[in-house]
Amino acid sequence: MAVVHKTSQSPRHNRWSSLEAQEARLAWFLIFPTALIVFGLVLFPAVFSVWISFRDVGLKNLNDVFHAPFVGLDNYRTVVNDFAFKYQGPQSWGAAVTSVVYSFASTVLTVVVGLIAALLLNRPFKGRGVVRATFLFPYVAPIVSVAFVWRWILDPRPSGVLNDILMRLGLIDLPKAYLATRGLSLLLVIIFEAWRYFPFAMLMILARLQALDTTLYEAAEVDGANTLEKFWYVTLPELRYIIGSIFLLRLMWTFNKFDDIWLLTGGGYGTNVLPVLTYQFSFGSFSFGKGAANAMILLVILVVFLAAYVGIVMRGTDEA
Amino acid sequence: MDSKARVRSEKMTIIDYLARRMNLWGFIAAITLVFFLIGILFPFYWMASSSFKTYAEIGGREPVYVPSALRLDAYRELFDPSDPSFQNFAANIVNTFKVSVPTAVIAVIFATLGAYAVARLHFKGKELLLNSILIIYLFPGILLIIPLFSMLAQLGTRLGFNVQDNLGVLVFTYLAQTLPVALYMLANYFRTIPSEIEQAALIDGCSRLEVIWRVTLPLAIPALVSVAIYTFMIAWNEFLYAFIFLNSRDLFTMPIKINTIFNDPSPRPHVVMAASTIMTLPIIVLFLALERFLTEGLTAGGVKG
Repeated sequence: MAVVHKTSQSPRHNRWSSLEAQEARLAWFLIFPTALIVFGLVLFPAVFSVWISFRDVGLKNLNDVFHAPFVGLDNYRTVVNDFAFKYQGPQSWGAAVTSVVYSFASTVLTVVVGLIAALLLNRPFKGRGVVRATFLFPYVAPIVSVAFVWRWILDPRPSGVLNDILMRLGLIDLPKAYLATRGLSLLLVIIFEAWRYFPFAMLMILARLQALDTTLYEAAEVDGANTLEKFWYVTLPELRYIIGSIFLLRLMWTFNKFDDIWLLTGGGYGTNVLPVLTYQFSFGSFSFGKGAANAMILLVILVVFLAAYVGIVMRGTDEA
Repeated sequence: MDSKARVRSEKMTIIDYLARRMNLWGFIAAITLVFFLIGILFPFYWMASSSFKTYAEIGGREPVYVPSALRLDAYRELFDPSDPSFQNFAANIVNTFKVSVPTAVIAVIFATLGAYAVARLHFKGKELLLNSILIIYLFPGILLIIPLFSMLAQLGTRLGFNVQDNLGVLVFTYLAQTLPVALYMLANYFRTIPSEIEQAALIDGCSRLEVIWRVTLPLAIPALVSVAIYTFMIAWNEFLYAFIFLNSRDLFTMPIKINTIFNDPSPRPHVVMAASTIMTLPIIVLFLALERFLTEGLTAGGVKG
């Protein structure tokens, strides 16, 4: 009996002191600081914000958040009915619709421009390294600097560069307030996004392009394919997965972005998106409950994107 | 096109190359390339050149494409205490360093330890941990700022520190933003180091920590440098958290200060552009110096993260 007892005990004892167990303990020890910060400052706040979204939290009770009164779905109801959120016809889209349109349009444009840039840099020429590095400038430069340069270029006065150029070319008669005109401002913010983030798409696509098997092109050439056909039937199918993953990653990141629109337009003139609206609720009118509710709506839409990402792309990239 | 022709063409300039192969596609490519280069470089030229203009040049009826001379009016306003609207930008530069250097250093240390565990050691829950860290990386900053703000405010009143105007708090929030991707990039790199080298050291009697210190880290220096630069750049550029957590002008980091100057009732674009140039230049220089590591890091971390 004692023998049986001992043998049933010893594997357990072994598991604790064995090399494997030591390794596991070391692993947890090593990853602990990272896990603590990431979970404490990201995961816990994320869960906490669900809680806040059901409470009435303002400046007065920010220091006593845990006793904030429960208000049920009131915050959500107010947010959804807010004129800044709700779609009210083609003149006033509201943040929800604007966010989706803005993110999709920016992402499509970013990927298309990135693809063109990648194809451009895929052929060898002298100075390609320098050109490639230059192409990455918009992506690495600080957002504040580039946003303000753009605003300065799009300055509404006749001394604005774009106004000056377009007036010299005779395309417009009077200076335009580009970032203060409905429709035009949204379009320009989308173009700005593509300008800033195409290098990311370009790098990914370029890496894939350079790993392509050249025999595919040789085979296509034997079959008499021209440049356009080679691109359409050989290159694009090979890039499908990488383009798909870039698309969803950028879509989620753009959807979450606060800085770009805030710095360019402040969310005015038909460019208000959910992140900016979240900021306005929380730190403009100091209604943190509404801000959290708005952020939760943002998150729900994001989770749909995420599900699509995990379901379609992550499974697909294993094959690619 | 045979390989010989390709080798030859690599030795020509862009113009030669295009002249030789002046077909439709070559022509389109050349035009597109020029269009791209102008579109990318003009804003940077405009930033730098505007910073050297006088107030008269910047506020005139027509844009001045080339400043008449390298005037330092804007820089004087940023740095010269005797200037009437002195901005004390040097303090903002120091503040930015105060957050971005600790962020980079701590992120590299923590991420190295974590990444080693992920890449080399087996433990239960590794996949779960990795996946949750990655999914967390996709959480929007704006979603987290509200709970983070009230959470840290609570914690601050209990433990006696200020949430607002506290650069240390800012470093912690930046760590939360950068650690996941740093961990991922480093783990990917550690996997490329053959584990036989480490096993040899283990057999020779080194402990795991000694192996990390003496074998793995020296081999991973390129990756460590790129992660350090990468996290440094994120902290250097960060806007939203600094915007919300900093109220006192003395503690502003550069992005917040530039935003403040921009929103000043009397617009002075040349000063904004000068400050932007100062903030952009080190990033571009760092990037060009270490471009190889950085682009590899971006693609390695980006494909999966």
